[in-house]
Amino acid sequence: MDFDDSPGEAGYRARVRALLEEHAGELLHLAPGQEGIDARTHEAEMRRTQRVLAEAGLVGVTWPREYGGQGGTLVQQAIVAQELARARVPGLINHIGIGMCGPTVIAHGSQEQRDRHLARLLRADDVWCQLFSEPASGSDLAALRTTAVRDGDGWVVNGQKVWTTLAHVSDHGILLTRTDPEKPKHAGLTMFVVDMHAPGVTVRPLRQMGGRADFNEVFFDDVRIPDEERLGEPGEGWRVALTTLMNERVAIGGAGGAIGAPVEEFAQHARERLPRLDPERQVLARQAVGRAVVAALAARYTGYRRLTVLSQGGIPGPEASAGKLAGTEAGLLMADAGVRLLGDDAVYAATADGDDRWQRTQSWLPGISIAGGTDQVLRNILGERVLGLPPEPRSDKTAPFSGGKR
Amino acid sequence: MNFDLDADQRDIADGARDFYRGNASPAAARAGLEGGRLEPGRKALADIGFLGITVPESAGGSGRPLLDLAVVAEQGGAVLAAPSLVTAARAAVLLADAPDLAAQLADGSTAFAVLDGAVDGSAPSVDAADATLFLGLDGGDLVVGEGEVLPGRPVDATRGLASVRLTSRRVLTPDAGELWARARQVGAVVMAAEDLGGAERCVQLGVAYAQEREAFGRRIGSYQAIKHMLVDAWVGVEQLRSLVWWAAWAADCNPDELPLAASAAKACAAVTFERAASTLIQVHGGVGFTWEHDAHLYWRRAKVDRLLLGDEAEHLDAVARLAVTGALGS
Repeated sequence: MDFDDSPGEAGYRARVRALLEEHAGELLHLAPGQEGIDARTHEAEMRRTQRVLAEAGLVGVTWPREYGGQGGTLVQQAIVAQELARARVPGLINHIGIGMCGPTVIAHGSQEQRDRHLARLLRADDVWCQLFSEPASGSDLAALRTTAVRDGDGWVVNGQKVWTTLAHVSDHGILLTRTDPEKPKHAGLTMFVVDMHAPGVTVRPLRQMGGRADFNEVFFDDVRIPDEERLGEPGEGWRVALTTLMNERVAIGGAGGAIGAPVEEFAQHARERLPRLDPERQVLARQAVGRAVVAALAARYTGYRRLTVLSQGGIPGPEASAGKLAGTEAGLLMADAGVRLLGDDAVYAATADGDDRWQRTQSWLPGISIAGGTDQVLRNILGERVLGLPPEPRSDKTAPFSGGKR
Repeated sequence: MNFDLDADQRDIADGARDFYRGNASPAAARAGLEGGRLEPGRKALADIGFLGITVPESAGGSGRPLLDLAVVAEQGGAVLAAPSLVTAARAAVLLADAPDLAAQLADGSTAFAVLDGAVDGSAPSVDAADATLFLGLDGGDLVVGEGEVLPGRPVDATRGLASVRLTSRRVLTPDAGELWARARQVGAVVMAAEDLGGAERCVQLGVAYAQEREAFGRRIGSYQAIKHMLVDAWVGVEQLRSLVWWAAWAADCNPDELPLAASAAKACAAVTFERAASTLIQVHGGVGFTWEHDAHLYWRRAKVDRLLLGDEAEHLDAVARLAVTGALGS
């Protein structure tokens, strides 16, 4: 047991660090205290940053070489993520494409689709989004209603998607549709790659509770998709979507990366703010700080265990959902304690000197408990697939979708 | 990065599981509440070498890392074994410069207990009820001596709790404050490991029952109300396992991290075991509330352990103080 880099890993880390220094002038960097950059206002710079990183071999680390990746290990990918964070390079604009859409194209796309899309995706020549959720089907994704109807050598799509992160800057998306309403709901679905600039695609920003608009509503009105952009066979859409969803759960918290603030930043905040509370409040605040730190460390070290399994050739399983649950809980505890440490300032959206980190974190974390599998859906997955508990009865699983309540 | 047990440690865990399953049980813990003998008992633990895992080979032990002992302790916790390996681990640290006494610890010829609090009237201390030789901190010095034992009525008889008043004492190590603190941290890690085993067993028993028992025409594990309780308990167990391994590893390989890791593990153990045991009772309904069922024996252990060697509040406070003074690095 150890937490050190192996000699090979240490060498790789040194190469990554040197590359990030060499290209520092061409990359975006976060200012002190800044934790992200808005793609709405900095799209061009974010695309350029990803392209520079891709050309340096730091994007798509685990992707096969034949598709522009590095053929590397999950541990190498974790090292790149750590070094990017250390160098204060913001999250990549195409993180959804790299983490979810691309792996789905690799697993289920035709050779021609892989050749056409993957290299451009890695360089952020094309930004991708994931068009799954709909107003009437969130957790119950397989109940979606957006239709694709065969028409000559292509398909015609009508319907609406929602909560689509990055749709406003996207060039392509993976789109889950219903192609056969007479089949049971899971069996009538088909996945496509859709051109987000095609006629009939309308993207409208959707403002979330914290005030920002990171995601969107997307409307499809008679949008034509050529058949060669079908991803997998007609009716196989659910199986294709499961590839995407599993990659999503690994991407969010599955390997122990912090959800919300890193625990070190939280500890620094507590160091500054604890002494400013009155002494009796400090006693209570230390309890909250301790509880949050314990949760964050437990999530981090559990992630290290999962990373160890992956590095020894294991494949990501449903246990990754536990990482997202525990990471979310730790993030919530840190955000709550982080806000409370502000004392009287805790009731304002920002402190007198303009610091709004903890309020902002507090206001976006509720979304993390919903996105990528709600906390409750993840508990069902863990209960049924890891603990082996009997499944929830599902009355609509075998009936034709069209005969169900619509 | 290699944060997993190695093949040796897995073998140790398998061997310990077999031993403990054959030599201890919740039934013995139940009998202990009515005066029965505790299992497997000191002699059996000495004979199989568990009391001397971290005692140096020169003193008749195995000279193995704390992680090995933690792996064994987890298996003991799963069946509510007594006495605790907390005492063995803690005493082994304190007796580093007393090889003759360490040898008596390892071979079980002397029943040691480590006293918390003042030696003239200690706090309730683990395995003190039938101990004959006591280690304590007296004015900053580590002392050893005999004493008068005052047991209370037990919530969980397997912990052998008693207060002790030393009737004789001699100084083993003067000015031993740091050694004492380290021994207590090591003890906290081993108790967290025993709690890990107990909590995991609670989840296993709860899952098994929820797979069988039917209500309203369905197996109860299919209801989200039951399923989610069990999942939360299981997620807690997996988080605790990570902290226990990290803390046990730190004791030998990165001692500067031990205070933070030990307090994190002990605080996490307190709530995780208690939640798992409460969940076990609730999943079983009325059956889980009976004397005959094992659930209350785990619940009793959890209710007592959460307060020993520092309660959750003490360890959360320690974690917070260490974190804000830079123990996490930057």
